[in-house]
Amino acid sequence: MKRLITLVVNKKACEIAVEPNRTLAQVLREDLGLLGTKVGCGIGDCGACTVVLDGRPVNSCLVLAVQVNGSEITTIEGVADGQDLHPVQQAFIEHGAIQCGFCTSGMILSAKTLLEKNSDPAEPEIRAALSGNLCRCTGYQKIVEAVHLAAEMMKK
Amino acid sequence: MHLLPRFDYYEPRDIAEACKLLSHFKTSARVIAGGTDILVNMKKGLISPEYLVGIGKIPGLSEVEPQNGGISIGAHLIIEKLVEFDLIRKKLPMLSKAASVLGSPLVRNRATIGGNIVNARPAADLPPPLIAMGARVKLRSKRQEREISLDKFFKGPGETVIKPGEILTQIVIDDLPPFTGGDYIKLMHRRSLEIAIVAVASRITLDGPDGAIRDAKIVLSSVAPRAVHAVRAEKALIGEKPTEKLFEHAANIASTECKPIDDIRGGAQYRCAMVGVLVKRTLLNALNEAKGK
Repeated sequence: MKRLITLVVNKKACEIAVEPNRTLAQVLREDLGLLGTKVGCGIGDCGACTVVLDGRPVNSCLVLAVQVNGSEITTIEGVADGQDLHPVQQAFIEHGAIQCGFCTSGMILSAKTLLEKNSDPAEPEIRAALSGNLCRCTGYQKIVEAVHLAAEMMKK
Repeated sequence: MHLLPRFDYYEPRDIAEACKLLSHFKTSARVIAGGTDILVNMKKGLISPEYLVGIGKIPGLSEVEPQNGGISIGAHLIIEKLVEFDLIRKKLPMLSKAASVLGSPLVRNRATIGGNIVNARPAADLPPPLIAMGARVKLRSKRQEREISLDKFFKGPGETVIKPGEILTQIVIDDLPPFTGGDYIKLMHRRSLEIAIVAVASRITLDGPDGAIRDAKIVLSSVAPRAVHAVRAEKALIGEKPTEKLFEHAANIASTECKPIDDIRGGAQYRCAMVGVLVKRTLLNALNEAKGK
């Protein structure tokens, strides 16, 4: 039976009727049309479906939409401020940290959450924070460097 | 893409209502906490419960509280909070360390301490340190509440003493005596999203800063159907002065006290050898910590 839930997605409140067996990733992509959230493995290994749920990055493929009734969610679509990209997005572009792009939404959301807690992370801290996000193009070096660059940009 | 089978979902407001639902639905219902394990098993078609009972909105299940000379941890506390909370980092450093190597940051933000216990995976990260610290768990059902030592909780892979209708609500750990130290080391091929090849949790209590070993626990993980004590190695330590030679002796005994399997993560012989290495290392680190307190 469908349940009526309320979510605040990228600062906008929305009410949706969902079947209990639908994941947050499915609801974001299919009901709300937010296709920036990717689904890779679907079992919590790859991190492509990362969204920020009440301040914490999580695998949205392993969250039931009905479980997070009343929660606040940020997807990649909510990271830029209008036309102005977030420093992490800008740094990824400038530094060539994007190859095929499938992991990028998740990488950016994990990196953004890290930088909000720790404005000057050391390399091991960046690698640890991104360790749930896999890049099958194996572009990790550029990604880690881009996070450093974003930290610099955010200090200015 | 992996899709979830159909089920109905209930979200009780308190523990009594949750127990009522579970006792009504019996084996056709399962509890869902963080969901990082059960949803994977459901997507893979390994289980297909008719009802899921979400316990995330029940007040009091995610708290950490001091409790008559100990600490009580709510079963729904997420793993990352075991790493973040000062109280747990200071009082139970071995548990924080084990929590910090569980899954990935994304998994740790959803997975719960209770879930890691009730799933009873042979390589689960939290049971070894919890057993080494003598933790107990509280199980609530419609009719009663019982408390049981974690030592007696696991029966085998995925099997525990939990009965249909029961919910694990709290993990209770008594304050450890002075001059106690412990360590948990997980051997992994990589640093994240990894299941232990072998893991060891050791805990020792000394008579004084330079005293003999009064109590010792060595728990081996990923080398048997459930986390097991290295009983003879523990006995070899008690009453003795802690030295590197003694720890090496205990490590040698421990490596004969497990029955690992050959699998993709490591061969049985290699695992036995690594049990020895990790037992010695955890004991040396435990001794350093014990002397400091």
